[in-house]
Amino acid sequence: MSAQPAMINRYRWYELVGIYAGIAVFLTFILAPFVEGFLVSLKPLSQLFSSPYRFIPVNGSFEAYRTMWVSVPGFARYIFNSFFISTIVTAVVLVLVVPAAYAFARFQFKGSGHLLAAFLAVNMFSGAVLLIPLFRLMRTLGLLNTYFAIMVPGVAFLIPSAIWLLRTYMMRIPRELDEAAFVDGASHFYTLRRVILPIAMPGITVVAITTFIGSYAQQFIFALTFNSKTEYAPLPVGLFAYFGRQEVIWNELMAASFVGIAPAMIVIFLLQRYLVSGLTAGAVKQ
Amino acid sequence: MGQLNLNRVQKFYGTFEVLKGIDLEVRDGEFVVFVGPSGCGKSTLLRMIAGLDETSAGDITIDAKRVNDLPPVKRGIAMVFQSYALYPHMSVFENIAFPLRVEKMAEDKLKAKVENAARILHLEQRLQQKPGMLSGGQRQRVAIGRAIVREPKIFLFDEPLSNLDAALRADMRIELAKLHKQLKATMIYVTHDQVEAMTMADRIVVLNAGEISQTGAPLELYHKPANTFVAGFIGNPRMNMLPVTCKSVSDAGVEVEYKGQTTVVPVTGRADLVGQPLTLGIRPEHIQIGTSDLSMSVVPTVIERLGAQTVAYASLDCQGENFCAMLPGSAAIRVDEKVPVGIAAADCHLFDASGNALERRVELTDVDMALLTAGKG
Repeated sequence: MSAQPAMINRYRWYELVGIYAGIAVFLTFILAPFVEGFLVSLKPLSQLFSSPYRFIPVNGSFEAYRTMWVSVPGFARYIFNSFFISTIVTAVVLVLVVPAAYAFARFQFKGSGHLLAAFLAVNMFSGAVLLIPLFRLMRTLGLLNTYFAIMVPGVAFLIPSAIWLLRTYMMRIPRELDEAAFVDGASHFYTLRRVILPIAMPGITVVAITTFIGSYAQQFIFALTFNSKTEYAPLPVGLFAYFGRQEVIWNELMAASFVGIAPAMIVIFLLQRYLVSGLTAGAVKQ
Repeated sequence: MGQLNLNRVQKFYGTFEVLKGIDLEVRDGEFVVFVGPSGCGKSTLLRMIAGLDETSAGDITIDAKRVNDLPPVKRGIAMVFQSYALYPHMSVFENIAFPLRVEKMAEDKLKAKVENAARILHLEQRLQQKPGMLSGGQRQRVAIGRAIVREPKIFLFDEPLSNLDAALRADMRIELAKLHKQLKATMIYVTHDQVEAMTMADRIVVLNAGEISQTGAPLELYHKPANTFVAGFIGNPRMNMLPVTCKSVSDAGVEVEYKGQTTVVPVTGRADLVGQPLTLGIRPEHIQIGTSDLSMSVVPTVIERLGAQTVAYASLDCQGENFCAMLPGSAAIRVDEKVPVGIAAADCHLFDASGNALERRVELTDVDMALLTAGKG
């Protein structure tokens, strides 16, 4: 009896088959490119264009994971750049967004609704639409061909969604906690630091993860346009180095892609520890 | 010291007047309870005293100092919230120590104070736990500890027990009463539960629709309600209201007629009342089986047997409202069977057409306590 799931979670066998079939279809759809990419990274280059095509590599090896460092010597630098840019962007976004989200969640001020709507509107433009004005802006500020050229627009475009996310989280923190702290003589900043921040940690972690991933993904377009120096190029731009004049070194490219996303994966796994639910348990009677 | 004065205190939300000029004086060391139905403004008034809500007009004075524009901490108040409002990520110790940390108190002094508060509230064993591991009653004690440790002039309680279950509420009521005795501090307590109000208060302030309906000691409110609102609000089950006509007014009292019967109710009347319709109030616990100064027969529709008492609900032909009688536990009555009941004139309350009470001639002395218990038995 005890092994049975709760009544509401019990299904007939054909329902279960349907559910798992659905999951399988979607997972295949999403994961197939990754699997294929990984398999390609294991194959020698010659096998990639063999006919008939074989998905499972013959004499597969991790050779490409070694040679990729040799064919593109600056690759480590690209990974570092990507990681560095994303870290700084995430840090800056958090520093700006935490007080902003607190203000939007707690204070009633003129135009707060309009401001939030404006933030949402900004999100609707992708960075690509604004590339030309941004380029002129960067040139005027003399930021072209620096790390800042990639970081500044990154921060700007990631702030709105971060504010929306964190504001929603902070609105769920009972207002009585602020009032209790106020009655006890705490200032708004003291309350934010000692009361709100620790409780909002899971929300902040979510924002940090999404910002980090967002920054990792969106730096490509800014790096391509605002930076022409190889030493500042991030991973997505760096991958172009595997595109030779004559041929593309597909297996090394795939290997490099997997190596490149590894640092982001590690960061996410580390941050995940802070995604504890129920941190507000016992604060107020629900 | 903790003396509080409210002078024509008003609160507007836009053009809506929530509080209509409240005048109140709370003496040092007094336990005052604000009671009233939902939306009467009692919590708003408390939040204004606390400094959480702004005062639209009037003066709030604590110890002869106008505090309208001061933040809560400068007013010398501490507040306990209905929802406890504990900091979930801090231990019980840190929760209680929070106001002292804000003050940047030295560690050894802080520790002594927190431990003292914990001892008063029996929380010594819980100091290192997080609020999430505590029961409702313990959480509320932590919230009270956070208030105690500041040593405020005035404690404010916003329905602190309404989230607890009935048994725990009774325990906490006793603990709060003890705490008040121990600390000798001024306490203002908001509740909608009249049992809490009656049992803990030195003085009850009954609020209705943004105005003070009556202020007085619990038994004063019970025996001499100033109007029909207080009469209906204090006492459980509610007082029965019967329409009567004033026949004559004399030194002995006011003679009223109810369905052909007349009796003289010992209240202070006015000559102009003769011939006017009045409302006669009689508490369910003052109705007896049999005949008395006023007699009638009722047919119970619902009978609740509580053991010690039997509560009978009957509908009177003249009005839709239930007529309620609280009879002895073993009262020999049955549903749908006619019962003769009687009302003693001395137990009656009389209200004029505008709902204001004619003053009853009841002595509110210690003897009264005996009267009250005798009436219930």
